[in-house]
Amino acid sequence: MDGVMGRLPQPSRRDVLRCGLGACLAGGMVCRLPCAQGQDVAGTGALPGVALPGVVRHPARHWEKHADGEVKCLLCPRACVVGDVERGYCGVRENQGGKYQTLVYGALCSYNVDPIEKKPLFHYLPGTQALSIATAGCNIECKFCQNWQISQFRPEQVASTPVTPEQLAANCAARGWPTLAYTYSEPVVFYEYMYDAAAAARRRGVGSVMISNGYIEEEPIRELCKVLTGVKIDLKAFTERFYVEQCAGELKPVLRALEVLKDVGIWFELVILIIPTLNDSPEEIKAMARWVVERLGPDVPMHFTRFHPTYRVTNLPRTPVPTLERSRDIALGEGVRYVYAGNVPMHPGENTYCHQCRELLIRRVGFRVESSLIRDGKCPKCGTTIPGVWSQEQALSFAPRQRAAGTAQGTS
Amino acid sequence: MSPPPARRRGHRCTGDREKGEYMLSGREHAASGCRTRREFLYQIGAATAGLVAAPRLLAEPGEAPAARPDAPVPGKATRVIIARDETLTKGSVDEHAELLRKLLDAALQRLTDAPDAATAWRSFFKAGDRVALKVNTLGLSTQPAVADAIVAGLCAAGVRPENIIIWDRFDRELAAAGFKLNQSTDGVQCRGTDAERIGSGYAEEVEKSGEIGSCFSRILTGPVDAIISVPVFKDHGLAGVSLGMKNFYGAIHNPNKYHGNNCDPFVADVVAHRYIAPKWRLTICDGTRAQVQGGPGRSPQHAWSFGGLIISNDFVAADAVGADLLEQERHARGLKSLAEDRRPPKHIATAGARGLGQSDLNRIERIEV
Ligand code: SF4
Repeated sequence: MDGVMGRLPQPSRRDVLRCGLGACLAGGMVCRLPCAQGQDVAGTGALPGVALPGVVRHPARHWEKHADGEVKCLLCPRACVVGDVERGYCGVRENQGGKYQTLVYGALCSYNVDPIEKKPLFHYLPGTQALSIATAGCNIECKFCQNWQISQFRPEQVASTPVTPEQLAANCAARGWPTLAYTYSEPVVFYEYMYDAAAAARRRGVGSVMISNGYIEEEPIRELCKVLTGVKIDLKAFTERFYVEQCAGELKPVLRALEVLKDVGIWFELVILIIPTLNDSPEEIKAMARWVVERLGPDVPMHFTRFHPTYRVTNLPRTPVPTLERSRDIALGEGVRYVYAGNVPMHPGENTYCHQCRELLIRRVGFRVESSLIRDGKCPKCGTTIPGVWSQEQALSFAPRQRAAGTAQGTS
Repeated sequence: MSPPPARRRGHRCTGDREKGEYMLSGREHAASGCRTRREFLYQIGAATAGLVAAPRLLAEPGEAPAARPDAPVPGKATRVIIARDETLTKGSVDEHAELLRKLLDAALQRLTDAPDAATAWRSFFKAGDRVALKVNTLGLSTQPAVADAIVAGLCAAGVRPENIIIWDRFDRELAAAGFKLNQSTDGVQCRGTDAERIGSGYAEEVEKSGEIGSCFSRILTGPVDAIISVPVFKDHGLAGVSLGMKNFYGAIHNPNKYHGNNCDPFVADVVAHRYIAPKWRLTICDGTRAQVQGGPGRSPQHAWSFGGLIISNDFVAADAVGADLLEQERHARGLKSLAEDRRPPKHIATAGARGLGQSDLNRIERIEV
């Protein structure tokens, strides 16, 4: 272990007992963070604004100046126009005197070492671990958010600690974790931190995956793909109505972002949380799967996962397993080659089967990989190439394709 | 899905939850023990009330709040008092403490037709009340001298100083606005929701009200009998105006989520909540320093020497009159109307339509003192 890990905060015994997570420490999990003091990131110069605990100020990217001291954020499709001393919708970007700042550059509110399967990414270095991190904030508000205690709060409202991009990268390299995962809340809103961490990680031979809602503008996502090595997108539903009513967002920009990912050529997988009565109709699943095959191709894995009542949706039951199975069957029937049933441990729909010969390739139990037969990215039985990222060399060799003319403008 | 170790500042750990989710306790809090800077004034109030083992505003479980004794009578014109004095525009507001107090007393008397100021204050507050003054310290801030004048009036009505809290979102913004924090148990309390002490922070449960889903400040969810909104008379880049109602965006954890559609109907949703509307006794809008454009941040070129207060026991009416006055001033300065600037203060009409108060200017009696 190098010295960097020693600088990351460790939980006190009291914290561990309170959390009932004594066992997790054995695996190196850190379960509590002291509060960060308000600060500017070293080297960025003193930025204006009230010093608040948990707020780490840093110049934001992707914004433009407007009249009367206002700024317009160009990071996500919400395109917030923000007056002086105000924040954008996500609560983590603030206008100070006509200059836009991110308030969460290194303000880590959660970090954990997770199996990559927990993201879930099933075709990306299966059986490996990822240092998974988050800051406060999100650019949409899903009424069923599982992580609303951090995603729907401002940085000063959650406990956090300052960790630099370089520290994250150094930790992964020192511990042999092949991947940094930006996850839990919404990494789009900590874009600058994610970008710099991913760049630092690459320099040290560590990959980076973004676990996101895909609510991001084209330019920022293209730029980001220069340093990422994989992406998972939560496709919340396939109707604008669902996005508006349940997420305070829009579907169309997410579809556009998916087409950009396809165009760029980065590895990505889709997760669809199936919520009874809200997005589980066979017609909607069919339309979604058809769109995926037509616009993204049959090799993009789809994970249909189980909903549990939480946050503002507490009046609906857990998703019945047969509903997940039906969704999976529909997607397979539409031609999606790799379709999974998630949050249902021991279900055969968690396993990977060769799309050509149906050979069982990866057996999973929950987030654990029990066995994997894939060799050099191929099915050992029929020799078919299995889509995905199967080695760190492959992950790190990714470079985005040049923009194809007219790409990402065509989604209607 | 990948559930994280979720941790809210100040939240108790709830143990391992489904799929490994857990919440963690917040940091240890340190009481500052500092006192309010306006001790002289508060001591007067304390002497008036008598300091006998008074209940703490946030230290004891609350009784059920009484129905608003001052609720506007249906059919009777709602009064909004505009109390101005040009002297207030000169020098610093702090220099005019006595004038502010007199002006406020006169306004309360006029609002209630009471024979004297103490009776006027007593028509809204009784001795045992625990009163929360929501000031606004984002950008152009409520003047501490205005809060002091209100505290004096409350004490005259028999409210104990330690049962009064002056609050906003952050300790640091309160301090930057000139308020002296007081987290001790003596005297008028003054602190932010995000103060680093036990009892601060936001409630753990999400409250639904209309279209909003928010965690409310524990200052409001605790034992509070009466609320006074003490906003600043200012323009707002999204809601049109930031007056008594919009001020309560500072009471929820996620105000930035409700800036769409000119903050409508979200402002009405927030104030309609049981933590606010039933307890709201007065709006005392601080117009000693006002701003007609560029709010809520400070914009000196748009400063307006209004030099007064806007007061009503009908919080919708107070905002309706405030917005109208601001529109008139914008017109006089050749600025676009708020509607032309695509930020009409729709939330006022929405609140009126919901029966939270009177938004029809024709049914509001404006009285200048
Ligand atoms: S990233 Fe945040 S501030 Fe920027 S447009 Fe999206 S919600 Fe608004």
